[in-house]
Amino acid sequence: MKKKFLSAVMVCSLLATSLAGCSSSSDPGTSGGSTTGTDTANQTQQTQQTDSGSEAVDPANMTETQKIIAEAETMTLEELAKKAIEESNGATFYGVGNSSRGKTALPLFIEYLQSIDPSYTLEFDWQQPKNNKIFEQLQADSLKEEGTFAMTLIQDGNQIESKMVQTGILDTFIPLDWAQANGTTPDAYDGYLELQLLNKVFMYNTTGDKTYDNCWDFVAEGSHPLFMDIDSEIVGKNFLYMLTQDTYAQYLKDAFDALPADEQAYFQPTIDSEKEDAELFGLGENGAYALAYIKLFVGAYNAQTDDGPICQTLVTDSATDQSGLLVYSKLRSVEESAGVSVNNINIAAYQDGYTGIGGYGYCHYLFVTDNSPLPWTACAFIAYMTCTEDGFSAWGKDMGGYSSNPEVAKAIETTYEHSKGGFNEAGEDEFPAKDDRGKEWWVGEGQLVVEDPQYCASVAFTVGSWIETLDKYTGEESE
Amino acid sequence: MKKAIFLNRLKTYFGKPQNVILLLFGLTLTYTTVAPIVAIVQDTFKIHPGTIDQYLTGKAEGYSVANYTDLFTSRLAKTNLWTPVLNTVLLAVLTCLIAIIFGGITAFLVTRTNLKFKKYISSIFIFPYIMPQWTLAVVWQNLFNSNAVTGTSNGLLVTLAHIAMPLWWCQGLFPSAVVLGLHYAPFAYIMIGGIFRNMDANLEEAATILDTPKWKIMFRITLPMVKPAILSTILLVFGSAMGSYPVPHYLGLTTLSTKYVSMNSKYTGEASILAIIMMIFGILILGINQMSLKSRKSYTTVSGKSGQISKINLGKAGKYIIGIILIVITFFTSIFPIVMFTLETFLPNPGDYSFLYTGDFSNLTTKWWLTNDNNASALYGQKGILFNELIRRALSGTLLVAVCCALIAGTIGTLIGYAVSKNRRSKWASYVNNMAFLPYLMPSLAVGAAFFILFSNGKINLFNTYTLLIIAGVVKYIPFASRAALNSMLQLSGEIEEAAIIQDIPWIKRMTRIIIPIQKSSIISGYMLPFMTCLRELSLFLLLCTQGFILSTTLDYFDEMGLYAFSSAINLILIVLILVFNTVVNKLTGASLDSGIGGK
Repeated sequence: MKKKFLSAVMVCSLLATSLAGCSSSSDPGTSGGSTTGTDTANQTQQTQQTDSGSEAVDPANMTETQKIIAEAETMTLEELAKKAIEESNGATFYGVGNSSRGKTALPLFIEYLQSIDPSYTLEFDWQQPKNNKIFEQLQADSLKEEGTFAMTLIQDGNQIESKMVQTGILDTFIPLDWAQANGTTPDAYDGYLELQLLNKVFMYNTTGDKTYDNCWDFVAEGSHPLFMDIDSEIVGKNFLYMLTQDTYAQYLKDAFDALPADEQAYFQPTIDSEKEDAELFGLGENGAYALAYIKLFVGAYNAQTDDGPICQTLVTDSATDQSGLLVYSKLRSVEESAGVSVNNINIAAYQDGYTGIGGYGYCHYLFVTDNSPLPWTACAFIAYMTCTEDGFSAWGKDMGGYSSNPEVAKAIETTYEHSKGGFNEAGEDEFPAKDDRGKEWWVGEGQLVVEDPQYCASVAFTVGSWIETLDKYTGEESE
Repeated sequence: MKKAIFLNRLKTYFGKPQNVILLLFGLTLTYTTVAPIVAIVQDTFKIHPGTIDQYLTGKAEGYSVANYTDLFTSRLAKTNLWTPVLNTVLLAVLTCLIAIIFGGITAFLVTRTNLKFKKYISSIFIFPYIMPQWTLAVVWQNLFNSNAVTGTSNGLLVTLAHIAMPLWWCQGLFPSAVVLGLHYAPFAYIMIGGIFRNMDANLEEAATILDTPKWKIMFRITLPMVKPAILSTILLVFGSAMGSYPVPHYLGLTTLSTKYVSMNSKYTGEASILAIIMMIFGILILGINQMSLKSRKSYTTVSGKSGQISKINLGKAGKYIIGIILIVITFFTSIFPIVMFTLETFLPNPGDYSFLYTGDFSNLTTKWWLTNDNNASALYGQKGILFNELIRRALSGTLLVAVCCALIAGTIGTLIGYAVSKNRRSKWASYVNNMAFLPYLMPSLAVGAAFFILFSNGKINLFNTYTLLIIAGVVKYIPFASRAALNSMLQLSGEIEEAAIIQDIPWIKRMTRIIIPIQKSSIISGYMLPFMTCLRELSLFLLLCTQGFILSTTLDYFDEMGLYAFSSAINLILIVLILVFNTVVNKLTGASLDSGIGGK
């Protein structure tokens, strides 16, 4: 009797929970008109495109949000602002992003709307999930008919493409003003909307004798650059994926050719051993150089939890000969002390005679959620951040983050003079490492490896799976 | 006639409060425990867009066994499965050993000997458990890292003494096990110490009268009596160590939990299989405990006859020497981290201890406390600790969640512990006990993920609400209270309550006047442990709320970002909070976390 009763309870519970599970995992519904990705018009030679991207979407198949976006893309910021006021006066706006500064931008946006309608009010909540949780959060929110989040600011093009765009969870909105500033139109533009390009750059400690004048030096014997663990910050993995793209593989080949013969001889066996894999993965003619670099990098880099601790390590006088690949803007908050100085590091790409890639660039993208509760307000906020200096100021005040809108970028440079970030009040260049040379320099002369979402998604399970088989550095060699 | 018999039986059955408790919570816990398990099992078969299962099956949705075949048979099986499994088992076993040996010996010394400085040692010993476990890992890094070995800047030991510790000491299994062992030693101390303090000395006295050697008394009488507490400690520590994410993450050890997190984005379904493997380990341990439970009836330690404890004499010098040794050890496990936390909030840069070797104290700053401007680049866009709204909001959120979880989980757990001890031989009681305990054996991350899925859908959406955190916390922490209550109730001779039943004393009165007062220290532990754990719980709540919602997610955020001044300040806040609560509870009830053992 007892056994039967227990069994009945268990069966009922399992059924109930299975049903609950099923309902929670139901298809969010495809939106049909998923957006597509190319890079900003003025940025790099990279083109980002999604599978469904350039096809015109039949209005009959559009979701409500997509219809609003289509209409919003014909409006100026001021027109959008009026729509936003109409829609969200007195409401609460929920945003979610990889950057905490959305929280700083929102009050400025509200002030802007209040300049049009002084009676306008908006409560807001900006959330910044850690690590990769933003994708799970957005996926869960997408199951609701009307979501919590109105929009998102998100990084990692690879996962955005495969988990968010192809599944119809996020929609791209291209502000008219932004498109015009980039010499295009919302219809013609075929990519995700970037808020900014961020760069992680190679730096090294200068308190010792060791120099890094070639990007291969960072993977040479005994070198262990500090880098965020690619399993913690997935966007870091995209850096490795991107190295296999022809442009960057060529950069690596050129840098290799510039090495002295003895150093070439050290790397050559690894390059030779990767030729077969490069062919297997269908990479270009210099694919083996890229795979060799990746293999050496994975086997060399010293994994850290965040760029903050990496920066704090490198600028100390005890980090002799150490190097790292980290977010450039982290240098902004270093306070000079007896043991710590920005002048304890060099930016590799800024040094005369340096050859090869200078770092890695990845983007913060802006999207409207397909079940956005406040789509007009989301569009207006996105337009405000990408089309006005004030809107971008939350990010623009720091070096190493570049607005995708050339007009905003110019205004930001005029206001903050990041190119003279290391100058003191007397006009002397006290900290040359902080003199940001700007986006154009980095993606050109600085040979920044720029993330391409579609390319990353295409190699995630070929090159990506191969990377996972590589032995990571565990510290044993340094003893 | 049959109906009358049935109704009569029913009336008799429900006439016993323990049966009502078991039925009510049995059904509730079945749902709250089974639902997450089903959700995770389902997840292992589900195809997740943008992950390996989609790549392998070529489908964007549906179900498949691809995750199982890939995890167990691909060339990554060693990396993704077997190595983490081995490391996890080693970590859990070593952690248990360290915790039990360190905690148990200290408990014995404090409760059963004439050791000096007991009150101080007892109070200070629980500190590592108060602090979030990964903060000890961060302290370990700050202490032992070196340019020569770990390839980072030099830690304090190299800076001050020019001693670079070897790699096995700085990273991997050894430091992870030591840090977790130290963190959970107070657990063993509380569990084992509670028994030592309450145990009936008659058996030992009888043995002494019969001239039994001391070692024989220890191994044949004392240790068997604390066996239930040791087993409970193993049960709790093994599961916790196995599911610990932050410590191995910070100290560079690949375990099932760190692998779960690292695989979750690209190998979502396979990560869920890892979670299931962790559960299987937990269920195995539960099974072993279940077997031992049957024999526990022999170890009634509290009866109505005697409560006198015999104290072992450590000798005139011994009681001081051992006391001082313990003070030195606890200085490094408890005081030193607090000194480091305090100091960190005055450093010019995170981890910048240059003033120690330059002697220039002018570099120290109060900016981390007093800056009232979030545009100050020196604080990475944050306001100072005293003006930081993020920390303030997180603090109030944490208090709400911790108090609610402690009250609800503590009460439910105590009732279950009582009811199970009363119906010890009933299979249903055993089932309820196991259902209550299962969530504890599941990795917190997995439980969090399951609750996230269960309560984030079109019909119910509790994401980022305190309600969800409280539900998850209660389900997860009931075992603390149920174990503490069960352990103490099992020691309680049935005669005590039977005497009251004969006098027709109502159940509520029996509980509040007899049972709870006798086992006050254990029961209070059942409330305090969920409270303390909840204050610094991270893994469970990571998926259920955003940073800034509670202190632990905020603390972890600052630690990961390397903003140690903020994380250290939060640590100090947590320590002060717990001490204040401990004192208040002590004043109000006369019991506290450590006073039951040696604090008084």
